[in-house]
Amino acid sequence: MTTTPRLRPCTVIWLVLLALTGLTWFIGQKGTTGLGIVSFVLAVTLFKSQMVADHFMGLKHVRPFWRGLVFGYLVVVCSLIGVAYYVSLS
Amino acid sequence: MRPPFFFAVALRTPRVPEFSLTMTDSVQKPHSDSLPGDFAIWIFIFAELLVFGVFFLAYAFSRANNVELFNESQVHLDRVAGAVNTVVLLTSSYFVVRAVAAIRTDDSRRCGHWLGAAIAMGGVFLVIKMFEFAAKFSAGISLSTNTFFMFYLSLTFFHFMHVILGMVILAAVLLKARGGGYSAADHTGVETGASYWHMVDLVWLILFPLVYVIH
Repeated sequence: MTTTPRLRPCTVIWLVLLALTGLTWFIGQKGTTGLGIVSFVLAVTLFKSQMVADHFMGLKHVRPFWRGLVFGYLVVVCSLIGVAYYVSLS
Repeated sequence: MRPPFFFAVALRTPRVPEFSLTMTDSVQKPHSDSLPGDFAIWIFIFAELLVFGVFFLAYAFSRANNVELFNESQVHLDRVAGAVNTVVLLTSSYFVVRAVAAIRTDDSRRCGHWLGAAIAMGGVFLVIKMFEFAAKFSAGISLSTNTFFMFYLSLTFFHFMHVILGMVILAAVLLKARGGGYSAADHTGVETGASYWHMVDLVWLILFPLVYVIH
């Protein structure tokens, strides 16, 4: 009987983060832009950052207040970058 | 008679953490009241996040007023180097997670190896960044070239200095780990260094798309 080697959850998270980085780079290389694309890139950035906070920094396992604080920070920063981009279009 | 609240808090027996707070394996961990590592480093981390946040928004809103200048200048950036450096920092962070996992099992030697690998990746980041800086300076680009390059150089150099500080912290943790200074029951120092390093990574995750990709 053979056993399939299991990836550690942190390894899976790392691989997902690398894949999303590749996606962000690809979008940049393709040169496509616009509010939709920028919103997508910022959403991916927010997701990646929260993954690092949750799974690498370990905030998923502490009092929700701390996780919320970092999530709130990321939402505010990414949203305001999006607002600044929207302002630049007008 | 019950003691006043603040005495009750002060007299409370400190809870020895049964689990590491940094993700290491598939075991579902319970919630804890405290942050991983020393609380003081978290004050520092939140202050740093605030400073970088203000910096990012200053860049974004300056760009809104100089869209053409920023777009024309951004073309001169090496996006491949930026993406590779993102991969390098993420990998370094992953190595630090493995270092924390190792010390949880009382394996100081393995913890040291993972920390050494993380520091080496930090070194790779610095070398790539220095090549990027050298290319810009040799092309005659400086802080006074225009607003975009003022932001690009100051933001990335500010982050560069944080990578150096993070490497120094990890090196101090590595030395103590090699000397058997940490154990499964007492590895707050490892978590403290790890938390700071992940913050350096997290900040770059925002910096890369903001400066290199969004146009």
